[in-house]
Amino acid sequence: MSGRKTLYIDYSLCIGCETCEFVCRFTNDTSRIHMTRTADGVMVPLYCRHCDNPKCANACPRGALKRDRDGAVILQPMLCRGCQTKNCILACPHAAMFETDRGVMIAKCDLCAQRRQMGMGPACVEMCPCGAVMYVDRDEIPKLETEKSRLALQKVLDHLKLPGKN
Amino acid sequence: MDPINFNFLCSEPAVPNGRSVGIIGAGPSGLAATGYLSCLGYQVEVYDKLPKPGGLMLFGIPGHRIPKERIDLGVRNLERLAGVIFHTHTKICCSGPLHDEEGDHFCREILGFGDMVKKHDAIMICTGSWRSRKLGIPGENLPGVFSGLEFLFPIRAVQYCAPNVKVPEVAGKAVAVIGAGHSAVDVAHSAVHLGAAKVFHLYRRTAREAPCGAFEIEQLREMGVEWVEKATPVRILGENEVKGLEISVSGLDGIENRTLPVALVVAAIGETATPPFAKELGLENVRKGEVRWLHMTAIENVFVAGDALSGPSKIGKAVYSGLRSARSLANWLDLKAQDRLDAYEDNDLVANEAGFRRGA
Ligand SMILES: Cc1cc2nc3c(=O)[nH]c(=O)nc-3n(C[C@H](O)[C@H](O)[C@H](O)COP(=O)(O)OP(=O)(O)OC[C@H]3O[C@@H](n4cnc5c(N)ncnc54)[C@H](O)[C@@H]3O)c2cc1C
Ligand code: SF4
Repeated sequence: MSGRKTLYIDYSLCIGCETCEFVCRFTNDTSRIHMTRTADGVMVPLYCRHCDNPKCANACPRGALKRDRDGAVILQPMLCRGCQTKNCILACPHAAMFETDRGVMIAKCDLCAQRRQMGMGPACVEMCPCGAVMYVDRDEIPKLETEKSRLALQKVLDHLKLPGKN
Repeated sequence: MDPINFNFLCSEPAVPNGRSVGIIGAGPSGLAATGYLSCLGYQVEVYDKLPKPGGLMLFGIPGHRIPKERIDLGVRNLERLAGVIFHTHTKICCSGPLHDEEGDHFCREILGFGDMVKKHDAIMICTGSWRSRKLGIPGENLPGVFSGLEFLFPIRAVQYCAPNVKVPEVAGKAVAVIGAGHSAVDVAHSAVHLGAAKVFHLYRRTAREAPCGAFEIEQLREMGVEWVEKATPVRILGENEVKGLEISVSGLDGIENRTLPVALVVAAIGETATPPFAKELGLENVRKGEVRWLHMTAIENVFVAGDALSGPSKIGKAVYSGLRSARSLANWLDLKAQDRLDAYEDNDLVANEAGFRRGA
């Protein structure tokens, strides 16, 4: 699918400084990108891939998750009722849906929808000191990948694999 | 390469609002605050004792981890697009004697705090933490004993031709690095790169507990660094130079003393905050959140942010602190101009941030 934008993080460039998380927190109150520490001690931010076939959207009984014009998978708070099933959280293979203590109690990355309206890019991309977070066309990702980035990503995916989940 | 966009909050230059703010310290917290305020139309002037803006992102963290051009370009955009004025080589003085903190030998100009207060409508202190913690063991004052920052800073700073900066002589020598935070890891890396004959890396707990993460340590070991855990330095041997380091290591059969044959000891065990006039500013109260305005010091129009307030942390936290502090400063100036300071709802207190605090 072309013309669809997404976030891409090259984990081999990330130094774990948490700037993305804190800038997101400043911009959106509740951060939608979260620093985690893998079992072998690497610090990496977890984030939404705005997947081609978003499992969160499929899992939501109310259809509250929808793709917008630029390709971002968006949570529509007016449709989400913050249900206790937490199906979306469980369904996301990238651990990118977050519980909050505000509103419908679910937060997810919308690629800074408000900012995009005004012609600006996602805040985390703008402020990452290392240039590790990129706002790119989905098709560009293979070109951006390096051997190092793939290795680093694999480490993170191994870490994310929950028991009983493949 | 794209710049770090410190002006990420606005898409075009703002209309000047006629107010001026002085920011002391051009590290991540100062630059984030600069971006925020310039987006609101403030005339921002930034003062830094070093030759280039960037703070520890440029002069502490090794260049292969943060691309220098990304910082440089971001700073240039602040100058060109947002009209920010940078005064480098300029130190705002001083609670301690000059040359007490790392990087002081760069400053060519010293400005008093009083002048600043008169010149600007408000000031923000973002000076970071530039004084190193001491080990507190015998032999600590021998030549050849460094703090993490003392060791790392010249390696970066020497590129800026400062007359008094000398890279530590490491080639062919054995080095002991103490600590397991980011800076300790950076020191160990640098020591290997500078051609150390042998590097011992000591930490008082285990690799699993190391703040830098076990992965970093594994990488160092692959480079040939010898990892010694549960080790406490006891004394540094030698009369005019370092001859060795005595340590006690707790193992399965109790505590054992060892002497490491090293010629250099680097104690990268952390820094403490170095704000000018800590006492006058009443920073202890700001830290505890016992202030009415977020990040405001005991002097009304002086705010504080970043490591200068909370001690060594991470870039992300410094940026967040700079942004919040800048917002608080702008709110305060607005309400003051309208004589409505009473309207402030103090729900923005530092104490509320406690929940976000985590181990580094
Ligand atoms: C070796 C090392 C490695 C690190 N690695 C990492 C890492 O990998 N990831 C991470 O997230 N964090 C890391 N950190 C921590 C991070 O660099 C700091 O938390 C962050 O830079 C703090 O930002 P700041 O703006 O508060 O202060 P600083 O970056 O320290 O900036 C303060 C600025 O103020 C200037 N200044 C100080 N006093 C005066 C004065 N009186 N007058 C004028 N100017 C003054 C200084 O020159 C400096 O430019 C590391 C720190 C060190 C020391
Ligand atoms: S801001 Fe960039 S380098 Fe820092 S944690 Fe986020 S992705 Fe990693």
